[in-house]
Amino acid sequence: MVTKTEESQLNKLENQVDNGGGGAWEYLCLARKLKVRRSDKVLKYGLSILNDSRKRSSQGSDEWTLYEQVAVAAMDCHALDVAKDCINALQKKFPESKRVGRLEAMLLEAKGSWEDAEAAYSSLLEENPFDQVIHKRRVAVAKAQGNISVAIEWLNKYLEIFMADHDAWRELAEIYVSLQMYKQAAFCYEELILSQPTVPLHHLAYADVLYTLGGLENLQTAKKYYSSTIDLSGGKNNRALFGICLCSSAISQLARGRNREDKDSSPDLPSLASAALEKEYKLQASDKLSVLTSTLKCLRVSS
Amino acid sequence: MAEDLVLDTAIRDWVLIPLSIVMVLIGVLRYFVSKLMRSTQVPDGKIVKEGQVIVRARNLRAAANFIPPKSFRARRAYFSNEENGLLHVPKGQAQNPQAQMFSDPNMAMDMMKKNLSMIIPQTLTFAWVNFFFSGFVAAKIPFPLTQRFRSMLQNGIDLSTVDVSYVSSRSWYFLNLFGLRGLFSLILGEDNATDDAQRMMQMSGFGFDPTKNLGAEKDGLDIVQHEWALPKFEQRAEAVLRKLVS
Repeated sequence: MVTKTEESQLNKLENQVDNGGGGAWEYLCLARKLKVRRSDKVLKYGLSILNDSRKRSSQGSDEWTLYEQVAVAAMDCHALDVAKDCINALQKKFPESKRVGRLEAMLLEAKGSWEDAEAAYSSLLEENPFDQVIHKRRVAVAKAQGNISVAIEWLNKYLEIFMADHDAWRELAEIYVSLQMYKQAAFCYEELILSQPTVPLHHLAYADVLYTLGGLENLQTAKKYYSSTIDLSGGKNNRALFGICLCSSAISQLARGRNREDKDSSPDLPSLASAALEKEYKLQASDKLSVLTSTLKCLRVSS
Repeated sequence: MAEDLVLDTAIRDWVLIPLSIVMVLIGVLRYFVSKLMRSTQVPDGKIVKEGQVIVRARNLRAAANFIPPKSFRARRAYFSNEENGLLHVPKGQAQNPQAQMFSDPNMAMDMMKKNLSMIIPQTLTFAWVNFFFSGFVAAKIPFPLTQRFRSMLQNGIDLSTVDVSYVSSRSWYFLNLFGLRGLFSLILGEDNATDDAQRMMQMSGFGFDPTKNLGAEKDGLDIVQHEWALPKFEQRAEAVLRKLVS
């Protein structure tokens, strides 16, 4: 995850380059280091550096890294001929390189020739079975073809070996949610919470999945996780505030007529959440405020 | 009894400074040679997987209080199950890492190369220092020392009445050997091959022992008491919202 200072620095550089000031090279280096996906800007400024042969040779050995970065950005923006030129240049310089082989396979993938891309990735994997990027690209090919079950199988195999890769867990969780396999998605989100307990997004996603699963215990757990999201994000997360209101109304509906064994530890929470929501809406979307108040009243009435 | 010996400044110009410069240059040379000779290592599958398992188990231990008790117990069973848990190492398989090392030809070659690149320059430089720079007092150490250090620091000097603070150039060599590590990390960046002292320490207490790590993680995991932290988050959220709304 990119920190706030780094993000602001990146944005500042981007503004500077956009408005005609210099600094394109520093922007590209920072984008490469932080692994952000600003492909259109990278493509534009990278090409301007590469096409100017003076500037290109002044970079020295970093020129080839720039070729790689521009090739990936071109594939992201579907400028496939630009990508092909960059890859050709790289191939002339490094003929037997695995890194260039990977770029070529990515180009096949971008063109849409799935079987060729998959064959290329499999052969690359045979040479080096522990290349994480190629594993993940293979999963992406399967997912793009619509073969979700194959994608899941490969992603699971990948995670058996590289189980500390939290991006992969996140991808798996999203795939499970799209297939409505919520229990498995909950497991993946738990892994994410374990590896990064202070990131509120994971708590929020986990709470969403639990709320969707339903059932009294899950709803109570979901309410707890919504409150942890609020705590971690300083109360600014509207989705968590909504989640609290919905959870409390659902819980009281389910628990009506049963003995409340678990004494509600925070009775004011739903009302505080709705008050915070109203305040936020007043600030940002005051025309929708009436809709909000009527919805909240419905939730409270039914609770 | 401290007679102040006056040391010729020529000693400083022609002994101390050239010795330091030579050691820095040799270090830089070794760094580049090691870079050239380094073979790309195909990572061993088992070791990679074990490393990742350890990271995951450590995460579980650290953040155990953030997930519900049932999930925690399920994961703990997954890791430390007696039969097929990830962290469980059956007694017979706990290989002696040294034996494993020597049987793997690649690793043995790597170790030998690293050893050679460390030992040969050290030996040569030491011989050179002894040959050219022995038999005179090279420097004075600013703090007083006991007589015990005489044999170590005053090796070429055969006078027993000279204060132990006056040392020979051999000790300057050793001082440089251990002291230039900081300088090298400035010039060459981190992870350079000249960390002799570090490497020597690593060799004596053996480095990567995966089976012991797994066992340690399993014990740590067994000890953890799960105390679900989430319930008190509700009250904290209440406090946060109260402050926000008011």
